[in-house]
Amino acid sequence: MKEHLKYFTVLVIFFSITTNAQTKIGDAIPSITLKSNTNNEVAITSFKGKYMLIDFWASWCAPCRLGNKKLVKLHNEISSSKIEIIGISIDTDANKWLKAIEKDKIKFTQLIDPNGFDANTALFFGVDELPSKYLFNPEGVLIAKNPTEEEIIKLIKE
Amino acid sequence: MKKINKVYVVVASIVLMFSIKSNAQIVKAEIRATGLTCSMCSNAINKQLKTLPEVVNVETDLNTNTFTVTLTEGNALSPKVFKEKVEKAGFFIGTLVITAKPETITQTPYILVNDKSNNLSEIQFQVVDKGYVTEKEFKKLSKSYKNVETYASNNEDDFHIKILN
Repeated sequence: MKEHLKYFTVLVIFFSITTNAQTKIGDAIPSITLKSNTNNEVAITSFKGKYMLIDFWASWCAPCRLGNKKLVKLHNEISSSKIEIIGISIDTDANKWLKAIEKDKIKFTQLIDPNGFDANTALFFGVDELPSKYLFNPEGVLIAKNPTEEEIIKLIKE
Repeated sequence: MKKINKVYVVVASIVLMFSIKSNAQIVKAEIRATGLTCSMCSNAINKQLKTLPEVVNVETDLNTNTFTVTLTEGNALSPKVFKEKVEKAGFFIGTLVITAKPETITQTPYILVNDKSNNLSEIQFQVVDKGYVTEKEFKKLSKSYKNVETYASNNEDDFHIKILN
C-alpha cells in the first residue's frame, strides 16, 4: 500500500511538472540563462533584489516596436536601482534583433532565445502573443502579467 | 493456385484503393491571415493548426504573413477546416492557396472558375469563396464570377477554385 502511495506521488509530481509549463502569479522566476546583445550569458535570476520587468518581443512585431519606445522612456524615467527591465526577443534572426535594438535606442538588458514561439523561454513563461510582460518583485516572485506603466511606477514609488 | 489469386486480387485492390486515395488530397496549404491585430504576433493560429493530427508542420513567413501547413500523406482534409481553425484563433483568412494532387479537384465539392492546365503532378489553386478571401476581394470577385451560378449562393460545402499553375 505504501509502495503504491509512493508511486502515485511520483506520478502526480511528474505530471505537475510536465503539464505546468507556464509561469503563474506567485511563481518564482525561472532560472534561465540567455545570451545578451553584448554577447554575455545572463541568468535572469541574477537581478533579484529589485523589481524585474521581463518583456517578450520580436523585431518583426510592430506592436512590440511601439512598446519598445515606451519602455525606453520608462527606463529613462525610473531608477535602475529599483527595477531592471529585461527584453527577451524570440527573433530567429539575431541580426534583425540587434538592428532593432539599435534603431529603438534600447539601453536596458536585452536577451535572445532565437526560436520564435517554440523558444524554451517562451514555452516556460507561456507566451502566446507578443508583446507579453511579466513583473517580478525583488524576491523573484511573479506579481503581474502585462502591467500598465502606471501600475509599475506606482509600485516602485511605494 | 486459386487461393493465391484471391490473395493477389485483395492485395492489388487495397493497393489500388490507397493509391487512388493518395491521388486526391491536399498536400500543402498556404494561409495568409488577417485581423485587427498582428497575426504573426500571436501563437494562436499556429496552435490551432497543430491540433489537427493531419498537420505535419507549420512554417511561418514573417515577410508575407503566411502560415504554410504541410499535411500527412493520404489525408482527407477539406479547405473548410483551415477556415474554422483560423477563425477559432480569432483571425480571418486573407488568402488560401492550396497545393494538391490533380485528382483532388475532380471531386464534387470543387467548382473551377477558370481553365485547368493538364499533366501537372501537383496543382495549385486559390479558394475564392466568401470567408476565404477578404470582404473587399469577395465583392470584386462576385462581379467577375457573376456567370458562375453557384458562386453567389455561398454554399459552405462547395469550393470555388481558381487554378494558379
